[in-house]
Amino acid sequence: MIVKRSLDAAAEDELVRRIAAADRPAFDELYRRTSPWLLARLRRRCADDDLVADVMQETYLAVWRAAGSFAGSAAAGGAVGWLWTIAAHRLVDAFRRRARQSQVPAVPLVETVAPAAEDEVMAGRVGQELEHALLVLPPEARQVLRAMVLDGFSVRETSLLLGVPENTVKSRARRARIALREALS
Amino acid sequence: MMRTVSAAETAPTTYPWAVHAEGLKVRAGRHLAVDGLDLTLGTGVHGLLGPNGAGKTTLMRALATVVRPAGGRLTLLGESVDGRADLRRVRRGLGYLPQQFGFYPRFTVREFVEYLAWLKELPKPAIPGAVQRAIDRVGLTAKADARMKTLSGGMLRRAGIAQAIVNDPAVLLLDEPTVGLDPEQRLDFRELLRDLGVDSCVLVSTHLVEDVVAACTDVVLINEGRLVHQGTPDDLVAQGGAGDAGDSPAERGYSALLRRHRAEAGR
Amino acid sequence: MTAEHNASSHPSPAVIARYADREVELDEVTVWSVEVHLEDCATCRARLAGSTTPDGGALLARVAAGLDRDLGAGPAPVRRRRWSRVRNRWLAGHLVPWLTMTLAVLAVAVLLQAAQPGLPSLVALLAPVAPLPGVAIAWSRRHDPAWELIAGTPAAGLAMLLRRTAAVLAVVVPALALASNRTGVSLALALLPCLAFTAATIALGAFVGVRHAAIGLGAAWGLAVVVPAVATAHLPVVLQPGSSGGWVALTLALAVVAASRADRFRRLSSHD
Repeated sequence: MIVKRSLDAAAEDELVRRIAAADRPAFDELYRRTSPWLLARLRRRCADDDLVADVMQETYLAVWRAAGSFAGSAAAGGAVGWLWTIAAHRLVDAFRRRARQSQVPAVPLVETVAPAAEDEVMAGRVGQELEHALLVLPPEARQVLRAMVLDGFSVRETSLLLGVPENTVKSRARRARIALREALS
Repeated sequence: MMRTVSAAETAPTTYPWAVHAEGLKVRAGRHLAVDGLDLTLGTGVHGLLGPNGAGKTTLMRALATVVRPAGGRLTLLGESVDGRADLRRVRRGLGYLPQQFGFYPRFTVREFVEYLAWLKELPKPAIPGAVQRAIDRVGLTAKADARMKTLSGGMLRRAGIAQAIVNDPAVLLLDEPTVGLDPEQRLDFRELLRDLGVDSCVLVSTHLVEDVVAACTDVVLINEGRLVHQGTPDDLVAQGGAGDAGDSPAERGYSALLRRHRAEAGR
Repeated sequence: MTAEHNASSHPSPAVIARYADREVELDEVTVWSVEVHLEDCATCRARLAGSTTPDGGALLARVAAGLDRDLGAGPAPVRRRRWSRVRNRWLAGHLVPWLTMTLAVLAVAVLLQAAQPGLPSLVALLAPVAPLPGVAIAWSRRHDPAWELIAGTPAAGLAMLLRRTAAVLAVVVPALALASNRTGVSLALALLPCLAFTAATIALGAFVGVRHAAIGLGAAWGLAVVVPAVATAHLPVVLQPGSSGGWVALTLALAVVAASRADRFRRLSSHD
């Protein structure tokens, strides 16, 4: 079918533009393409699957409603980056709600830093300086680094996500910056 | 895509209190509505109580940097806001809902919140997402694209709350936010307040003592421009006895404190 | 910090399959690399979709069903017009009646001039004060309904006042040009005093408030210049053709004064 072919060819940004015009098939296509990625990423930050499901539902609902505003503005990282920003904020909001009642469902720290021998070829992608910094940092600082740099969270949001006080987040972030600067020099 | 983290962002927090007022004096017209107020507020939800004319609205205005203090010292998020301070940086971390807030009737809710988000200097790519999030948090999703002149009083107030929280402020000032909300909406609002109090400093001025007791971690009672009492809601309840006016323990505590303050002031 | 992203080399399918399964512990560096890559690469996202675990697939189906329900229940997305954003930021609705009044006054002046040729050029006499009502109202507590909300925002200040003044001038200047054309007054004579008085209102407004400045300047001009001119049927010296240079210099000087006092506009409430 002609419609299906054009949907296949459309990039995610184009899909969002069509969603702004209330195009339901475009929305379903966006969901089909991006939800596995979002699921995998969220699951590596939150141990509670119910919460992940809630966050994903809220995220895609927000995409449906706010697509009109997004289509007009130029966002860094394109539609996929925008999708992650919405999901990240919904995740923080969900953690904030949980923080009042009980422990936040954070994911256990990653123990190994260096890739296994057969995965060596991948390592170059991240950049030597970053890899070196990751190697020397303790796991808590790595966690803060990932939350702030990779996921784009602010200090307040990181402290909610990881369940540690703001000043602790800041000192770990400073430690990470020092490690990076050392790696660069 | 990775973002850069600035040194300023990770510098240690040097200030102990989000809001710190010492001997604050603020005028409302010719009258000195806030007269020597000492106040410290940290993270959490603080309920501001007081009789009419106690200076609550004027205090809120001064904290929102809308009115310049006439005397004393006021520090917000570590920066002094009296005198010739650079207000832009402080204002980015503030959210304010005035008691009588006006709006442009032809704007839709989304346009209104977007306009305020733009005025608060949120980065342009972040605005649509932040606006949708704020609208969802106050429960106005169904009315997001309705014109403001078609909204009821309670919905208008919620739109006002949405604009106050759109920039995720570290200090949130809400002057009588529950006016016009029906009881169910007030319950939703209390949930939102509790959420907001987890990582920001919220000051809610209200006439309803039950709202304060239900949602606030801290109660601030002012009268005639001065601080009368600051403590937990349980403290407030403990101040009252069977002989005081009021239908609930908190109301009795409130009247007891006011009575004592007026007696001390020799009135 | 940026990642060196080589678009032509993708992670191996085995790594992606391991990333998809949350039970598999991957080392930190690989996780970073995969996540940074996936944000930009639709092909690998599709590959990831193929490696979804069964319980992950069940979760996705559950979310899809929930979305089906909620999408129908709520409102459909509204397409935004690009110009509406610009309009919201530059125009202020409460200005409309005042600008209409200004235009009406100018129209009356043109008609009067035609009816009574003996009068000195009314358009030239009115040109300096034509923008003043608009500028006074542009950001005034009494007239802007959202004033208190705006007053506490970081953008509140001279830039915002100038933006609204520009909106006023965008209406007043063409009207003045048209009126001066109709009555045979030179364009420079009509526009330059207008700009100078606008600059004066803003500069003076830094000290006493824009509204008071506008009222004061308007009254002063009326009494000192307009009344004698109408009474003696002569245009005053300041409006003679040779005075253009003086007006330009005055405008620039006032602009400098206003710019140097820009921080006083952050809290206009003290004056208004």
